[in-house]
Amino acid sequence: MKKFYLLIALMVGLLVLAACQPEEVQVEVTRVVTETVTESVEVTRVVEGEVVTEEIEVTRIVEVEAPVPEEPMEPTSLRMAILDTENSLNPYTYRSGYPGWNMLLLQYDTLLQLDTDGVPQPWLASEMDVSDDGMTITFTLRDDVTWHDGEPFTAEDVKFTIEYYLEFEHGRWTRNSRPVESVETDGDYTVIFNMASATPGFELQLAETPMLPQHVWEGVDDPDNHVFEENIGTGPYKLVETVLDQFYVMEVNEDYFAGKPQRDELVFVQFADTAGSLAALRTNAVDMIVTRATPEQINILSGVEGIDVAQGPEFTTDMINYDVERAPFNNKTVRQAMNLAINRQDLVDTVYLGAASPGSPGWIHPASPMFNDAIETTYDPDAAIALLEEAGITDSDGDGIRELDGSPISFEFLAVGTNALRLRLAELASEMLGEIGIEAVVTSVETSTWEEAVWPGFDVSQGRNYEMSMWGWSSPVQANPLRMWQLLHSSPDFGFLNLTGFANERADELSEALTTEIDPAAQAEILGELQEITADELPFILLLYPDGAYAYWSGVYDGWAFMNGQGVFHKLSFLPEEARP
Amino acid sequence: MLSESRGGRAFQYLFVLVVAISLNFFLPRMMPGNPLALLAGVDPGLMSPEGRAELMAEAGLDRSLPEQYISYWGDLLQGDFGYSYRQKEPIVDLILSRLPYTLFLAGASLVIAALVGIAAGAYSAWKRASMRDVGLLWSMITINSLPSFWLGMLLIAIVSVRFGWLPSFGAETPAAGYEGLERIGDIGKHAILPVLTLTVLTIPAVYLTTRYTMLSVLGSDFIRTARAKGAGESRVLFAHALRNSLAPVVTILALRLGFAFGGTVIIETVYSYPGIGRLMFEAVGGRDFPVMQAGFLMITIAVLLMNLLADFLYPFLDPRTKGQ
Repeated sequence: MKKFYLLIALMVGLLVLAACQPEEVQVEVTRVVTETVTESVEVTRVVEGEVVTEEIEVTRIVEVEAPVPEEPMEPTSLRMAILDTENSLNPYTYRSGYPGWNMLLLQYDTLLQLDTDGVPQPWLASEMDVSDDGMTITFTLRDDVTWHDGEPFTAEDVKFTIEYYLEFEHGRWTRNSRPVESVETDGDYTVIFNMASATPGFELQLAETPMLPQHVWEGVDDPDNHVFEENIGTGPYKLVETVLDQFYVMEVNEDYFAGKPQRDELVFVQFADTAGSLAALRTNAVDMIVTRATPEQINILSGVEGIDVAQGPEFTTDMINYDVERAPFNNKTVRQAMNLAINRQDLVDTVYLGAASPGSPGWIHPASPMFNDAIETTYDPDAAIALLEEAGITDSDGDGIRELDGSPISFEFLAVGTNALRLRLAELASEMLGEIGIEAVVTSVETSTWEEAVWPGFDVSQGRNYEMSMWGWSSPVQANPLRMWQLLHSSPDFGFLNLTGFANERADELSEALTTEIDPAAQAEILGELQEITADELPFILLLYPDGAYAYWSGVYDGWAFMNGQGVFHKLSFLPEEARP
Repeated sequence: MLSESRGGRAFQYLFVLVVAISLNFFLPRMMPGNPLALLAGVDPGLMSPEGRAELMAEAGLDRSLPEQYISYWGDLLQGDFGYSYRQKEPIVDLILSRLPYTLFLAGASLVIAALVGIAAGAYSAWKRASMRDVGLLWSMITINSLPSFWLGMLLIAIVSVRFGWLPSFGAETPAAGYEGLERIGDIGKHAILPVLTLTVLTIPAVYLTTRYTMLSVLGSDFIRTARAKGAGESRVLFAHALRNSLAPVVTILALRLGFAFGGTVIIETVYSYPGIGRLMFEAVGGRDFPVMQAGFLMITIAVLLMNLLADFLYPFLDPRTKGQ
C-alpha cells in the first residue's frame, strides 16, 4: 500500500514538474566583458619646481559591451505530418503508395526520374537507348554516384536489382521488372536489358523502381521480414532515426550526385488523424502536411498568415463501380442513363467546393496528353429519362422506382464511412439517380469490409460481392494512360484491375494491342478509341478528379514544385532548382 | 468452506479466460475483410496470384480454421505471440513500447480523478440539497455527457492553437534530442492535455458513486450513534462516513484501471498519442490478427486481475463481506 502511495506521489509530482517548465522568454543578449586596455595619457606634473608635461602609458581594466559571437549555422530542419506508419521504409516494407513510396524515393534513386511535367528524364542512367524493335535497351550509368556507405554505384547493382525483384516478389517492383528477360553488364557503367517483349510505358515503370545496393542485399532471402541495420540507398536523404508510430528522421546526403538538397534534416511526424495534423500545422509544430488538404481546410488554411496552399490537378479518381455482370448494371441503357443523370459539376462545386475537375466518362484526365477531346461529359436527366422510357424501363406501379424485367431498380451503394468526401459524393449521386427513378441505397461500411466486397482477395478472378460502390484509384494508375488495358480487359491476366466484370471484344483487342505498341502515334490512336468505348459502354462512372492541395509554411520552406498530376511531395521539391531535370 | 469457495472462484476465472482466449481467435476471423493488404504491405493488387497465396501460407492463413486454432493455443502456451502483419515487429515489443504511455495517461488521470471525485462527492453529500450540492451535481452530469473527442479538440483549439501554451500531439517532441530531466519535462508537458481530458471525463463517475453511497451511509444508524457519542463533524465525515462509502468507488476505479490497459482510442487519436488504444484500433481496421489476439488477451487478463484485486480489497473496506 505504501508503494502505491509512493507511486501516486511520484505521478502527481511528475505532472506538477511538467507543468512548471519555464516558458521560453525571448531576451536580447549582449555580453559584458572586461578588457585590458592600454592607452597613452598626457600627464602634467611638477618636477623640481618645473611644470613638465609628458606622455606615459597606463594599463587598466574596463568593462565593455561585446556582441554575442555568432552560433555556428543551425542545421535547417523541415517537419512534415504523415498519417500512417511506413515501417522500416525500405523497398519491401514501406506501406503506402502515397506518401510511403515518395518517402522511400528520398532515400533511393531510380534509373529515370520524372520531371515536373511527369515525363521520365535521365537520372542514375545518363542515357537510355532503345533498339528499333524495342527488345534491347542499353543504359549508360552516371559514374559519380555512391551509396550512402561510400561504395560506388555500378552496373552490377542494376543487374542485381532487377534479378532480385524477379526472384522475390513485390507487387510493384516485380511487375515493373517482369518485361525484362535478362540483364547484361558491359563494364562498370553500361547495362543492357534484353526484353521479353516490347513494353510501352517501360520508362514510367523504371521511374518508379528503386535501385538496390548489391553489397547490402545479397544473400537476403526474406526481404519482407529481414531487419537491416540501416537503409542504404543513393538518394538525397538517409534515414537516421525511426520511432515506430511516432516519427522518422532523415539526414541530408551531402554528396548527393545531383546537388546538395536544400534542407539538412527532414522530420516526419505521424499523426492519428487529419484534425491533429491541422492543429499542429496551425501552431507551426509542423511545417507542412503531406496529406492532401480537404476542400474546407483549403480556405481555412489559406487564411492563416504565413501558410500557403499549393494547388493543382491530380490523377487520383473518385468513381462509381458496379458489377456489370448483374442486373440492372448488365443493361447498357441503365448504365448510360445513370451516367447522364449525374451532375458532375454539381458534385465538384458542392462536395469539393470547386477544388476538383469533373470526370471524363472515357477515364483519361483532360490534363493528360493522351486525352481524346472528342469525349464529352454530359449532364442531361431528361435525356436519361427518355432513354429509359424508350427502352421500356418504366415505373409501372407508381412508387417512383422504375422496374427492369419486373423487379424494381433498387440496390445497395457501398461507401467507406471514414472517407467523408466519398460518402457525401455517394449521397448526392444517390439523390441524382433518384430523380430518374433509380434507387441507390447508400450503405456506409469500414475499409476492410468494403475492399473485400469490391475486390475480394485483391484478385479479380475471385469475382465480386457488391452491387454498386464508390471507388478510386491512386495516381499511378491514371498517370500512366498506357495502363488503361489493366482496367478494361476481360481476362484477369490482362485486366487485373477490372473490378466491374466489364467485357467487350473490341476493348479486349485494343487492350492487347496496347500492351506491345511502342509507337506513340499508334498508342494515341488506340487510347482514343478505348476512351470512346469506355464513354459509351461505361464499365464504371468516373465522377471527378480531386485537385491536390498541400498546406505549408512558406517562410520555413518555399521550394515545393508541383508535379503534374502528382502533388508537391516528391524528391525534386527538396533539390536545388538547377538539379531538377 | 472458505477454501472451497476460493477454488470455485479460481475455476470461474479460468473458465472466463479460456472462453475469452477462444473468442479472441474466432471473432477477428469472423469479420469480413482480409489481412492480405497488410501482409503484402503495398499494392497487393499488383502481385501475382501465386505471390499472394505464398504470403497467406507464410502467415499460416491457408490452413483450416481448426488447425489454426490448435497452433494458436500451442503458440500461446509457449508465450509466442508472433509478429504483427502491419509493422512486421514482434508483438511483445509493440505492446511493451506503448503500454507505459497508456498506463501513464490512465494512471495519472485515475489518481487525480479519484482524489477530486471522492472529495467532491463527499462534500456534495455532506452539503446535501444545498445550492453547492445541486450546482456540483449539475455540472458533473453535464461533464459526463461531453463527448471525449469534442472536449479534446476544444482543449487543443484553445490551449494549443489559440494560446500556444502546450503541445497538441505526441508523447514527446520528435527528434528534439532531449535527455534526462529535460526529456521527462517534455514528456510531462505532452501528457498534460490528454491527462486533463481523461481526468475531467473520469471525475463524474467517481463523484456520482461517492455522493450516492455517502448519502445512504449518512442516513444510517451508526452515523447518528457517532454524532451522539460527540464525535466531531470532521471525524464523522472522514472516519465514519467516507471510509464506509469507499467500497463501490474502489470497484469502479479497479475496473477502470483494468480497462485502461486497452488504452483510450479516442483520446489517443485526438492527441496522436502512441498508446495501446491506437495500436489496437489500427490492428482491428487492418485485420492484424496476431496483434488483435495478443492485445485483447492482455485486456482480458488485466480486467480479470483488477476484478480479483477489487474482490480482495473489499473485505478490508467493508468487513461485512469477509468470508462471503
